Amino acid sequence: MSIQICSFPLHPRFSLRACSQTAARSTRIFARTENESSRSDQQQLNLSVLRFTFGIPGLDESYLPRWIGYGFGSLILLNHFSASAPISESQLRSEALGLSLAAFSIALPYFGKFLKGSEVEKRSLPDEGEQVFVISSSIGDSLKEDLAWATYVLLRNTSTVAVMISIQGELCVRGYWNCPGQMPKAQLHDWFKRNVDEIGLADVKETLYFPQYAGSALSWDILPDGTRSVFVQPLVHNIDESEKMDGFLLVASTAGYAYSDKDRAWIGAMADKFRG
Amino acid sequence: MEAARFINQIQIPKNPNRRFSRPPLDFPRIIRASSSSTSQVPLLPFAVSLSLLSSGFGGQQEPKSYRGPKPSKNLVADFVSRNDDSVRSLPIYVGGASLLAVLFNRAVSGIAPVADASSSQSRADLLALGLAVTNLLTGLVWLSIRPKTITPVEPEGVDCKVLEPNLPASILSELLWAWESIKVATCCKSLVIVYNGICLLQIGMAAKSPDANKAVLVNTDKLMTGSVYQGVFKSKAQSYLANLSLYPGRSELPFLPPNTQAVILQPLGDKGIAVIGGNTIRGFTSSDQAWISSIGEKLDATLGRCFLDSDEISQETDR
Repeated sequence: MSIQICSFPLHPRFSLRACSQTAARSTRIFARTENESSRSDQQQLNLSVLRFTFGIPGLDESYLPRWIGYGFGSLILLNHFSASAPISESQLRSEALGLSLAAFSIALPYFGKFLKGSEVEKRSLPDEGEQVFVISSSIGDSLKEDLAWATYVLLRNTSTVAVMISIQGELCVRGYWNCPGQMPKAQLHDWFKRNVDEIGLADVKETLYFPQYAGSALSWDILPDGTRSVFVQPLVHNIDESEKMDGFLLVASTAGYAYSDKDRAWIGAMADKFRG
Repeated sequence: MEAARFINQIQIPKNPNRRFSRPPLDFPRIIRASSSSTSQVPLLPFAVSLSLLSSGFGGQQEPKSYRGPKPSKNLVADFVSRNDDSVRSLPIYVGGASLLAVLFNRAVSGIAPVADASSSQSRADLLALGLAVTNLLTGLVWLSIRPKTITPVEPEGVDCKVLEPNLPASILSELLWAWESIKVATCCKSLVIVYNGICLLQIGMAAKSPDANKAVLVNTDKLMTGSVYQGVFKSKAQSYLANLSLYPGRSELPFLPPNTQAVILQPLGDKGIAVIGGNTIRGFTSSDQAWISSIGEKLDATLGRCFLDSDEISQETDR
């Protein structure tokens, strides 16, 4: 029985079908809970018993202390400069206290992001960049199928927008990348290969996680604009009990701090599938 | 063919709440703990990489050394994640202390503690009070959203690894890979895969049979005629039993350790089921469920192909 794999030629312009069931983080696909159904959702629920505002949709309440900090801090300064001289010492003391409280409030949402149970930012599609799907043609069919499945699952189950898997130099690239538009498939594969060799990604020995990738620090031009998190996992190849790096798996997302420990564990599990 | 479906389907689902504007993370931050350093890894001298080339590593070209930044540690993030509880109550203490400080300041400077906005001193005090209250409320919100920590329960039973003999090597490695991934990434402790009426894999912790010191094996006929399997088969959807002790159909899964806390029943297409037992109540998050259903689809594709092949072969030999 032969397996028909139609990876070529795939038109690069895929129509984005809105899959309402696969929103980035809060996936509830196929999940039907028996007993305790409502409580199972609380595992990841952001249950704000106290609300500052009345839950206005679109208003992110976790940033409210920051806005209040800015607002009240500027009011304190205004008050200070519009006060008639001489300013008493007690007023200076309370203004100093107020300003340091304002600074603390401004920093609060940043701390809150690292607490357990905080809401993860959702990914947004990058403004520029092409959606591509390239698989090297010089690998076997079953490996092609595995690569296609793995990239599909990574794009669906994590907040990834771009994924690249390299096995012994052969690439599978999928998602939004910053590559030249109208290149034929074979050339695109070589283009990616050249860029990857430039960066030297094949030589990465341990996992790299950049949760706050700022475009200028890492000049990896192939990643689309707006990439905030990048995670690289090397693929290990066991030959005769010595471990050699055989390739890597790279995922990038437009959300900051996109890959939690659990996400990284799953991505590592996917990388194990391609272990020699 | 499911494999083609994987390839042809959409790549990135559209986020229904997608906004074209950047997410609100570009306020200037006072505390800057950036996690991408600009230091470059020193380049390996070209001579060294040439010599590696010439030594001939199995004919494969040695890759150039990695030229890129190493991720630097984010001290703030590490500190907050390690001291989760104390950081949550920190704003309450700060707010409360500054509230008292404002009142103390007023008392010490001999001004009556009256909350009016007449003098600039009072205005400054009121603003400081407002900020203190904001901090207090934020601290209370953080405390209220603390997720309940549930301790895992060590499963009672014996370790077992029962594999169907005469499986092709690729199937075997795929099944073992699935077990390794689920074991590492989730709280799973037992895995049973039944396909086409045969128990292909029973691995992890299993219930101890009362007479001997061995694992209770899976009785596939009993399992497949039971209500648990039939329910999953009819709905064709994953079923998550977050707290197994409350579930009456518990008796149909005698092979799992008796104190298994949570179970996911994942149908493998039309012909099989994967029973995944975990050691924490509500231990499987929604992301775990999504990953497990993806793995279930993949296993169904692989196993379906293998069994279809063997059916064809046996049909041909019969003729």
